[in-house]
Amino acid sequence: MIGRLRTILGPPADEDAWGYDERFVRASQPLLDLLYDRWWRVTATGAQHLPASGRAMIAANHAGVVPWDGAMVSTAVRRHNGRDTRALVLNWAFELPWAGTAIRRGGGVPASPANARRLLEEDHLVLVFPEGAKGISKPFSERYRLERFGRGGFVATALRAGAPIVPCAVVGSEEIHPKLAEAPGVAKLLGMPYLPITPTFPLLGPLGAVPLPSRWRIEFCPPIDLSAYGPEAASDRRLVLELTDAIREQIQAKVYENLIKREGAFL
Amino acid sequence: MPARRILITGVANFWGTGLARALLADPDVEQVVGIDTREPPSDVASAIRLIDADLRTPELRTLIRAAAVDAIVHADVPQFPEPGRAARQLHDLTVMGTLQLLAAAGDLPTLRTLVVRGSASIYGSEPAAPAFFSEEMALRPGATRFQRDLQEIETLVGGLARRRADVTCTMLRLQPVIGVQLDTPITRLLRAPVVPVMLGFDPRVQVLHEDDSVAVLRQAVHHPVAGAVNVAGPGTISLNAAIRRMGRPAVPVPHPFFGPVAGVARRIGLPPMSDDTIRYLRYGRGVALERMTNELGFTPSYDTRGAIDAVAADLRKAAAA
Repeated sequence: MIGRLRTILGPPADEDAWGYDERFVRASQPLLDLLYDRWWRVTATGAQHLPASGRAMIAANHAGVVPWDGAMVSTAVRRHNGRDTRALVLNWAFELPWAGTAIRRGGGVPASPANARRLLEEDHLVLVFPEGAKGISKPFSERYRLERFGRGGFVATALRAGAPIVPCAVVGSEEIHPKLAEAPGVAKLLGMPYLPITPTFPLLGPLGAVPLPSRWRIEFCPPIDLSAYGPEAASDRRLVLELTDAIREQIQAKVYENLIKREGAFL
Repeated sequence: MPARRILITGVANFWGTGLARALLADPDVEQVVGIDTREPPSDVASAIRLIDADLRTPELRTLIRAAAVDAIVHADVPQFPEPGRAARQLHDLTVMGTLQLLAAAGDLPTLRTLVVRGSASIYGSEPAAPAFFSEEMALRPGATRFQRDLQEIETLVGGLARRRADVTCTMLRLQPVIGVQLDTPITRLLRAPVVPVMLGFDPRVQVLHEDDSVAVLRQAVHHPVAGAVNVAGPGTISLNAAIRRMGRPAVPVPHPFFGPVAGVARRIGLPPMSDDTIRYLRYGRGVALERMTNELGFTPSYDTRGAIDAVAADLRKAAAA
């Protein structure tokens, strides 16, 4: 236990050139396992659609104020497929002490087309949340209604790198911190992208940071093979937007399907 | 290949002297001309033609034309701003000197090769930066004065490249160079009795060994490529791991207090730090090395970790002696 804590908090032992630290990931896995098995009781399906080797992009819906969904999707992939994922993370996170370093050591990189493309070209499994900050910051009343997927930059990057896209639907993440309102003035003052007000935060102080124990489902869909289009297709706006919309609709449909399968949100 | 005549600016600094020595040993080099206001070591001073001049002197054009060289290596661009020097003075040294030099170079009919020892500091250090900057990513407006100075220098070099299609202009962007012979803000920091770091931050850094920093200049003289080329030891290492390998104690300071603490540290004899250095200590920087490997055809003898370990071993040897 002490050794594990030392690995988590101490200086990195053997990071790769991206700053990913496998020992750090292994050492923090028991905490993620606890959240996965006991707290959120995650059911993962469709993991056979994840490629056993080679580049691929997992595109998932994003929710929950605090992006625990990234850690849970990564855990599901590691459990059922054995591979490590590299997540594209909101840039703001890297300005934070500790959190920024921990995210990097866990495989997160600042979300940019350059980073995504390079990771794919190195045959990594890249996790993206095309909704970005809009996804995690939406109010509870709009839960499970996917935000727009921007300009489809993730599709263009996948086309350029010749990587298949695995759509992924996550259910349960919306209930962990139900956002009732925002405090934009305070957020601006603290330099944060937004400051949520939930039933437990800021009312219960630091306790409000504990996520609610909702029940989760994660479904991976069959990969979308983009190789027939070729890398030049990345500059075809119409095609990129069409593919983006199709992927968004597929994830939305799978989210609804899993909501029905889940039955109770908490029990 | 005809006998080559090569001019080196900043010939008395580490890079100028090292390159002059390397070129003097090359059989196809006929003459090395050096420009500096300081005296290079005697072995170099006796073997080269030394022009004792500041790059900003108006006579520079006449002097350079008379030298009739086919290659110019501009090794007088600072790698990091020297803290304690006024920003304007620094600007004057880096940009105005280069401006004069390139104006003179543009008039030189014999010139075929220009190599500039620039700095990867041009990319700055940002939280949202790409993990590996590639050469075309330096266009964004620089966050610091020094970054903007470097951008201005590169614009000047780009201007010469356009005007003179017969001159191959190689802009080398070196990641911080480390070594026991060097005295730069980064080497001073790594040699300090305690190294201040930012609490909760552990940036990825990438360095170049001093031997490789000279070797790459020589490589560019013999095999110039047009445009910018990043230069660093492959791989990256986190700052705390690097400091640990150097055997130094790191002192974490909360980032809002880092500036003031650095100021106090300076008064008690620790090395002073510029904004660029402070940002670097918070966010680090990595660069893509495909152009260096594939186009310049240069492979450093030390990767980043190897360079750190080599310098650590040299420092221990020096301490024991």
